[in-house]
Order: sequence, then C-alpha cells, then structure tokens
Amino acid sequence: MNKVFLAGLLSGIFLMVGIAEAQPITVELKMGAKRSWRGQVISRDGEWIEFKIDNSPKPMRIGVEKVTELIFEVEIDTEKISKKLENREYDGVIAMLGRAIKPFAEYDDIPSNLTKYNALLMELYYRTWEYDKSLLISSKIAKDSRNPALQKKSRMYQVLALIDGGKVAEAEAFISEYGWDQNLADDTSPEKLYIAAKLLALKKQYSEAMLCVAKVIAFNSQDPDWMQPAEILCAEIYTELGLYDSAEEVCRQIELFYRDSPEFDAAVKLRVRIKKLRAE
Amino acid sequence: MTLAFRSYGKLIRGFLLITSFMAFSAAAQDYSTLGVSDIVASANLKLKRGDYAGAIPPLQEVVDRFRDLTDPAKIEVLQNARFQLARALYKTGDIPAGMEVLTEYLEQEPRKQERMALRMVAQGLFEVHDWEQIEKVAAKLLALPDLSPDDRLNANLMLGQALFQAQKWKECIAPLTYMERESKDKESKQAAQIMIVRALVEAEDWKELFVWIPRVFRTDAKYDITLNLTAMKAAKALFSQDDALNSLVLYRMVLSREMLIEFSNKRIVRLSRKLAKDEKTGIPEKIRKERLKEIEEIRSLIEKITELPPYEDEVAFRIGKIYHELLRYWEGYVLFEKIYTEAPDSEIGAAAILELVLTLYDLQEIDRAEEQVLSYLEARITGKSASMLLSMMMRDNLLKQNGEKVVSLQKYMDTLPTTTDADETSIKGDLHYMMAFGHFQTGDHKASEDQFNIIITDFPESQRLPDSYYYLGMTYMMRAEYQNAIDAFGVYQEKYPEGEYYSDAIFRQGVCFLGLNNASEAEKIFTLFIETYPTGKFVSEAYSMRGDIEASKDGQDDPKTPDVDEYDPETLDRALADYRKAMDTASTPKQAAYAAFQAAEVYKLEFKWQEVIDLMEYYLNLKGSDADVAQAVFWIGKAQISMGQINEAIEAYLDAILKFGGDVNQEGVDKIIDELISVAEYRLSDEDRELFAVKLKLKMTDIDPTEKVLLLRLNVALALLMGEEEINALGSSFLKENQSLKIVTPISLAVLCNVAVAEDDTEQMGRLYEHFVENFEDSEKLWTAYRAKAYQLLAADDFIAVTNVIEEAQGLYGSDSFMGWSQIIKGDTLFKMKLYDEAEPAYNTVMGVPAWRGPLYAEAMYGMGKCRLANQDFEGAHTFFQRTYLLFKAYANGEWAAKGYLAAADCLLELDRKEDAVKTWKDMIENDYVNTLPAVETAKKMIKKYGDT
Repeated sequence: MNKVFLAGLLSGIFLMVGIAEAQPITVELKMGAKRSWRGQVISRDGEWIEFKIDNSPKPMRIGVEKVTELIFEVEIDTEKISKKLENREYDGVIAMLGRAIKPFAEYDDIPSNLTKYNALLMELYYRTWEYDKSLLISSKIAKDSRNPALQKKSRMYQVLALIDGGKVAEAEAFISEYGWDQNLADDTSPEKLYIAAKLLALKKQYSEAMLCVAKVIAFNSQDPDWMQPAEILCAEIYTELGLYDSAEEVCRQIELFYRDSPEFDAAVKLRVRIKKLRAE
Repeated sequence: MTLAFRSYGKLIRGFLLITSFMAFSAAAQDYSTLGVSDIVASANLKLKRGDYAGAIPPLQEVVDRFRDLTDPAKIEVLQNARFQLARALYKTGDIPAGMEVLTEYLEQEPRKQERMALRMVAQGLFEVHDWEQIEKVAAKLLALPDLSPDDRLNANLMLGQALFQAQKWKECIAPLTYMERESKDKESKQAAQIMIVRALVEAEDWKELFVWIPRVFRTDAKYDITLNLTAMKAAKALFSQDDALNSLVLYRMVLSREMLIEFSNKRIVRLSRKLAKDEKTGIPEKIRKERLKEIEEIRSLIEKITELPPYEDEVAFRIGKIYHELLRYWEGYVLFEKIYTEAPDSEIGAAAILELVLTLYDLQEIDRAEEQVLSYLEARITGKSASMLLSMMMRDNLLKQNGEKVVSLQKYMDTLPTTTDADETSIKGDLHYMMAFGHFQTGDHKASEDQFNIIITDFPESQRLPDSYYYLGMTYMMRAEYQNAIDAFGVYQEKYPEGEYYSDAIFRQGVCFLGLNNASEAEKIFTLFIETYPTGKFVSEAYSMRGDIEASKDGQDDPKTPDVDEYDPETLDRALADYRKAMDTASTPKQAAYAAFQAAEVYKLEFKWQEVIDLMEYYLNLKGSDADVAQAVFWIGKAQISMGQINEAIEAYLDAILKFGGDVNQEGVDKIIDELISVAEYRLSDEDRELFAVKLKLKMTDIDPTEKVLLLRLNVALALLMGEEEINALGSSFLKENQSLKIVTPISLAVLCNVAVAEDDTEQMGRLYEHFVENFEDSEKLWTAYRAKAYQLLAADDFIAVTNVIEEAQGLYGSDSFMGWSQIIKGDTLFKMKLYDEAEPAYNTVMGVPAWRGPLYAEAMYGMGKCRLANQDFEGAHTFFQRTYLLFKAYANGEWAAKGYLAAADCLLELDRKEDAVKTWKDMIENDYVNTLPAVETAKKMIKKYGDT
C-alpha cells in the first residue's frame, strides 16, 4: 500500500524543483476548458484570489470556484526525502514536507499539486500514529475527484485512521456507507478484507478478523502493498488469540521477507511483546 | 534472450553516427591499382552512403597493404581500416569474418576504438552463444579505465547475461543487478529482474531472493511464464526436501495459468502493433526478425503452459500445507476451504477437507471442525475422506474423554462402504478400536467388548489386534466377569509374549483373582509380578494389593482345622512392609497416597499411633508437593487424638483446613472436618465445644469473601457442630439459591444430598448426583449421592433405574453402617412394583445386618408387614406390625411403632377381630412412646367407631 504510493510520488513530483518565494507565489493557474496561465498569486481575499499573469501589467481577481487547479513550484530536496523514507525517518520527512508546503497554506483548499504532498503526509501521519492529523488530510483528499486512485486511497486511510484511532462506530458507519462490509469472500479485494480484519480485531472478534486477514495473505500473496501490512496484522491477531508460536513465526517471516520496512520494525516490537506475554 | 543484442544494436547505430574517418576521394573499383588515399576515400564514401558491402573491398585492400608495415602512422591507418572493415562486415551480416578482423585489431596497438571493438566482439559471440568468450570480453571491457556510464552498463549487461546463459548463477547476479539498477529502459529492467530472480532461485540464495520478490511483484516481470515455471519447479523440489519456508516463497510467486496467458496475449498484441507501426516507417530486417522471434517465443511459452496439467489447486494446496507446517493455521485453513468448496468430490478436494479439519483441530476450533466432519459424513459417507474424518473426530473426542460423542458416531461408522483397500481397512479397524474405547468411556463395557471382538474377528491384519485382546479382558474385568477376564488376559499373554501389555495382563489377572475372592491366587500373581517387573508401572499397586491381602488375614488359627497351625502373627507386618514398598515404588501421587493411608489403617488396627505419625511424616517427606497433605494431617491428628493430645490435634486440623481448604480437590480437608466434628462431639465438653464454635466463627471473619470454597467448608463444619437444624438451614438456603456447585466439596455435597432428599427436591437430587459422581468419584461420601439419585428415580417411578442404582451403590459399599437406606429403598421399590414376594425378603435382609440396627429395623419390619398385607395374609401381616410396635417402639420417636399399631389394628378388622383391634388402639393410646404423636387421633376415632361393639 504505502510503498507504491511513495515510489510513485518520488518518481513523479520530486522531479519538480523550483524556487518558492514568500510573496507573490509563482504558480500555473488552471481553469475550465483546459485554459491555463503562468503567473503569480498575489493574495487571497476569501473566495477570491488576486492573480497576475506573467508579463501582464496588472493583477486580476478570480473567483476560487473557477480555479480547477493551481500548480505551485514546491522547493524540496527529493534525494534527502528519499533517503529519509528509506531509513524510515518519517518525522523528518513530515517536517520537511510541512516546511515545503507551508508557503501555500492559504490556498490549500483549492485543488492543487499540493495534494500529492498531502497524500504523502496523510500516509506518514498514519505511520507515526497521528491518526487525527492523517484523518484531517485524508478527508480533504477524498473530496478531490481529480485523481480517482488517490481518492480511493484517501478513503482507505480515512477508515484506517478511524479504526486505529479507536473510533469504532465512525469506522463502521464509514465502511457501511461504501459497502466494504458486504460479501467478504475469498476473491474480495485485499483492501476490503484488510479493513474488515482491522475493524473486527478492534472489536476483539479475533477469529473472524483472522479469517479476513488470512484471505488477504492466502489469496493476494503477489500484492505487496496489502500483503505486508496484512502479515503484521496477522501476527498481531495470532498474539491476541494466544497462539504465540504462530505469531512469532509470522514475525520471523516478516523479518526475513520484508527487510527495511515498517512491518519489519513492527514485527521486532511484537516479538518483544510476545516474550513479555509468555513470561506473564 | 534478446536483451543484450537489442541493446548492443542501439550502440552500434550510435557508434556509426559519431565515428569519423579520414577523408579521401576515390572512384575506381579495382583497388589494387589505386593509391591508398583513393581507396580510403572510396571506402569512406560508401560507408557514408550506407553501402557497407561496397566498402568492404577497399577496406580489405587497405588492410592487406598495410598489414606488415611498421611505420606508426601507417599502423594507425591500418587499425582504423580494420575497425571499419569489421563494422562493414557486421553490417552485411558476415559476423564471423568481422570478428576475425576485430581479433586482429584488438591484438595490435593503437586501439582507439577498443571499447566498441570489444562490444562488437561480444555481439558476435552472442550470435554463436559463446558465453565463455563473452564473459572474457566483458571482463576485459570492464577493466578498461574511464569507462562511460553507458559502456559500463552495457559491459555489465553482457557479462551478466553471459554468466546467466552459462548458468553461473551466483556470478551473474552482481552484473545483472547493476544493469537493473542503472538502466533507464523499463523492459531491460524487467528482463534483468527476471534473470536475477531466476539466478537467485537456481543459486538457492533465498535471503537475497526475499529482497527481490516484492520488487518483481511490483512490475510486469511477475507475469513471465519462464519465471513462474522456474519458481514452481524449484518450489516443488524444496517442498519435497521439507524446506517449507523457501518453498512457500517460491510458490507464492506462481500466478494462475489464466493470468499468465492473458498477460502474454496482451503482450503479443502490443509487440505486434509496434512492429506493424515500425514496419510502415521502415525497420532493419534484423530488428524485425528479432521482434518476430520474441513474439514467437511468447507464443511458444503460452503453448507450453497451456499443455501443463492444471497446477493452481496443487500450488494452493501445497501453500496451505506449508502454512500449516509453519504454524500459520488460519492461512492454511482458508486455502483448504477454498479448494474443498470449489471441488468437494475431486481428489484434491478430498485431500483439502482432511487438511481443513486437521487445521481446525490444531486451532482448537472444535465446533467448526466437527461441523465440517458431520456435514461431510452426511453428504458423502462414501467419499474418500469419510473414514479419515470420522477417525479424526473420534480420536479428538476420545482424548477428551468424551465417550458419548464417540458413540454417537457409530451410525456413520456402520454405514461406511465395504472396502478391500488395505489402507482403508486399516482405518476401519482403527475406527472400531476407537469406538470400543468410546463405549468403554461411557461405561457400556458390553458394547465395548463387541467392538473389540469385531476387530479380532474381522480385522486380523489390524495393528490394533494385540491391544484388542488385552482390552477385551478389561471389558470383562470392568463388568466383574472376572473369570472371563482372567481367560482373556491369559489368551493375550499366550499370543503376545512380547506384547506391550504383557506385564499389565499379569497384574490384571491378579486383580481379577482378588475379584473372585481367590486371595491366595491373587497373592501369588502379585508376588510373581513384583519379582518379574520390579520397576513396572503397576508394581506399587501390586505391593498395595498384596498388602491389602495380608492385612485382611486375621492371623488366627482356624478352629475348623485344629490340627493345622495357621496362626501367623507376622501378617500385618508383611502388609506394612508391602505398603512401604508401594510408597517407595509409586509412580503417581495416587499410588503413594493409597499405600500410605492403607498402612495407617493397619497401624490403627494395632493402635500404633506413634507409628502412624512417623509414617505420615515419612510419606510427606517422600512425596513433597505431590503428597496429599490434608489426608496426612488428618491421620496425624487422629493419632494425636488417640494419644490424648486433643488440643494439638484440633489446632493441627484447623490449621490444615485454613491452609488447604480453599482447594476443592483437597478431599482430605473434608475428612479432617468430619474428624474434627467427631472429636468436638465426643471429646469436648459443652463449654469447650461452644468455645470451639466461636473460634471457628472468628476465623471465618478473617477470610477473604472471595475464598468461597474455604468459607463454605467452614460454614458446613460450623453447622455440623451446631446440630441438625443448622445443617438443614444451611443446605436448604444453598439449594434455594441454586448456587454453582463448583465451590462444593464432598462434605458439603453430602449435606446437600441429604437435605434435598429430606425436602423431596428431586431436581436438586439429580443435579447433586451428577456433580458428585463426575467430580468426586472416590469420595467416601459418594453414597449420599446414590441415595439422592435413588430417591429421585423412586419419585419418578423409574423402578428399574432405582434397582440399578441400588445395585451399583451396594456393589461399592456393601453393608456398611451407612448403607441401610439402600436395602429399604430396594424393598420399597419391589413393593411398588407389586413384587411382594421379592420385597419381603429384601426388607428382611435389613434385619440381618447388625450395623443397621435402629429405626431401619423398625421400617423393615413394617415393610414386611405391608408385603403380607398386600398378599392378603392378614395374620402374617399382623404379626410383623405387632413386632414393629413391640420390638422397636423407641425408634424414630415412636413413629414406626405408631404405624405398626394402626396397621396391626387394620389387620385385625380384616380378620373380623374387632375387639382385638379396639384393644390394640387402646394399647396405643396408653403407650408412652407413641401417645403424643398425631397418629393417636386416628386410634381415638377408631375406638369411637368400634369401641361400643
């Protein structure tokens, strides 16, 4: 799940390196009918922005609702971010991204190329257990229909943040709204099964949760995006079921198969927890 | 593999664009007559025009003329000409000739185009699959200084591919990895990935493979048919070598045939479209052929995989097996379930259901497992897995001592189809064997015997045959058919002198002789057993039983044989020695405890109280934490009491109750309470008894309310100390609240059973009986449960069941002092069944047991009268009723005497002896034992009615 997104993002957006000035902000402004202009946004006044087209003597006022997209020039050290992501220094990346998109905060409700950065932040906040922050971003992205794949992904993060944030009722309502709790069969998509497993585990229905997560693993072994998180969830549920030998075996396999991954770190931690549980 | 060739082609094209050559002009075709400058100019012109064939003769002429010259400037020209000649030869397809020229070029200095020359050589070598030479050339190329990134990339590609083709799996990984990392071309990257993964599989470098697999899964490389086939083949090999983990990794790589074919077909379409498009704009024939070849290769792979038998289910099945083996039960479960659900009647479906159920058992998901088994048996009793599934379910329930469930499966076992298959026959033999034990567990030893006999008769090849002979003996023994049992154990010994149960069979024979009251034969066998198997598992019990035999001998001379001296003063000493040995050789706490406490009983017979204390201390030291401490303390206290150390004993008892009374299973605590109450009743003054009661109450206030077992025991002790009213109140309140029986121990259960009978609470009688029998089978107070059960059944008019319970109880306790009730109920039951001729002797039996003297005698006598009355034998009835009030008027506060009076008078009326009847009523009124009872009112009414006559 996460790696694909990170990889796609890095190979695409990080190629853009530019200079972001405090004011005015250089931007490519897009409107309907594929019209676009390069220029600077000078300021914002509620539902209006002041935009000056390059080489135009005077700025003009444009209604926010008419803007289909703003393409900002985001200054960011892609190599450094890649390195930090590789080393799983998520807090560092969050800080870097925060600094990079801060100048554009005033315009973050307008569709823009910032969505990609926000999507990364959404994922990183989730990874660092900042579920409310992740939820805030994913809720925004979910409303942006420009990129259906990203929109779908943000919904996943919405529900994951709700589940991991312990908001069972909201998570259930959300899942029900999208029908993700219906017809959970062997060939159900791994993300649906994974989310169902997470929710069931949260509700301490461990056997049912295990059935769902086992299906992710058994029938989607070539989908590393869902396989890896499913494996660690599986180890956690085995632990809750008191099947410590099984849980440890899954942890061992995670450590072997997914070196240098967040799941690796989680497996190491879980092994320590199991050791303590055994000693109790 | 076309990767290197195609990539090299690009380089050649690049080279041609950047290569410069000396500019000469020439026009003639006969180069032998031309000057070098003209020849070179001619060659250059042709090369520029792309006329490679035309350029060959002039270039060859230059090479021929300059070959032997030594002037450096001319050598340089020669080398350039050689290089261009080779290039032209390559272009015209005469690669061998071109390679020959390049070899000369590379042997001489200067070599300004050395890198390109080496790559061209490599290309040539690719054509002839000379991997060894390519490896050398690529290595040479990589050794050159200042290589450009492009050169390094291509050199690695050549080297990696050459090593790969030469099946140098380990060596090829590094150059291919370089290629995969540095190449910007998506297809080249994927091709490299495929080769790397294949090489890692072949090199069995699993650790590195784990790193690559997620990367491969993120690209279309995962759809490569060759890669899938390789993974499948290697996985299968590893699976058979029990390398589960690595096999799993490879199996998880394998995609379905449908997915692979679909992807490959799409690829063919894509490649074909591209080729068609390129053909329109012009494409070298060589490239065109390469593309066609690539398409053909994909087609051929599709054909290959299409011809394979279906593999998906097998792969899924094996993955499931591996998950199971690696303790990842649920992952295995979902795979097996899918396979079975999709094809329940197929071979693999039958295998999957077995694995599925096995997994559920491993997960302790017993309900799910049994649901699957029963559903299969209902739908597919003739299915391939029916017998095995049945076997699994029976085995699991047997291990859990759930014999009833095993027995419930007999209908399936009996409907399994007949078979001649050896394996299936063997399973069926096992099923009968397990069914035999199922019946054994439920106590239906006859049905168990039948099953063992089926094995003996119908399954002579069964591995269970020897054991069946032995257990056949056990079924007889359990039914007290001791002679049959002795015979069966004898057959076993004869047939299987090396059998697992050989020594057990000898021991059991001893037990059976004891059952036949043939103590001397039993003793002989136990002695033989002890001598032959001094370390056997039953040796402790053999010692104990021999001790019991010795202890039961009276040691006196038999007066019937005055001429023979049977006097044996050593018999108790021998018994004690045996018990001591039994303790020392005990392999279970129960064996040691039995011997220790039996020995204590012997010492008790001899009033050797200090020895009792010493023995208990020896036992406690010997068994440590395995000792039954409460029982031992009980005996120490008992000895102390007998030695007059009352206070010490009471303190020790109280201490033991508080220490062990919280454990339901410490039955010795209940014995201590019993003994304590007895001491309080007979050895303490009223004042001391009250003080002791206060002390008990005080102790109870210090106990944590959650210590429910201990508190209940102390409450019962207190109630027993206070008297019947308190006991009834406590029991009644407990039963009314319908409290859980988990906290109840035998002493409390006994109280509750008696209260339930007194209150006619038949529901509680049944509940208490079940709990008592299930949890405290060895308790001395179990008879109270039998009594409750008998009354419950009597109330339900289930007479046959009553007689069975009575028979069982009497079988266990005989005519012990507390068992008189059983004979009375027996009489009452027979009476209710109108079997008066059997009921009367049953009542009469009570009179023959001195230990039952008391109210039971009165009740029995009255019962005999009832029998006569029912048979219209008024004279006889009158006699028994008369005896009741004459002989037993003091018993039960005159209750039976009162009944006797009234019944006797009724008989006299029947005999038309009204005056005698009136006299009887008058006697009753005057009798001090009965004249305060309500029954007297009946007598008075009768006198009023018949008195004037």
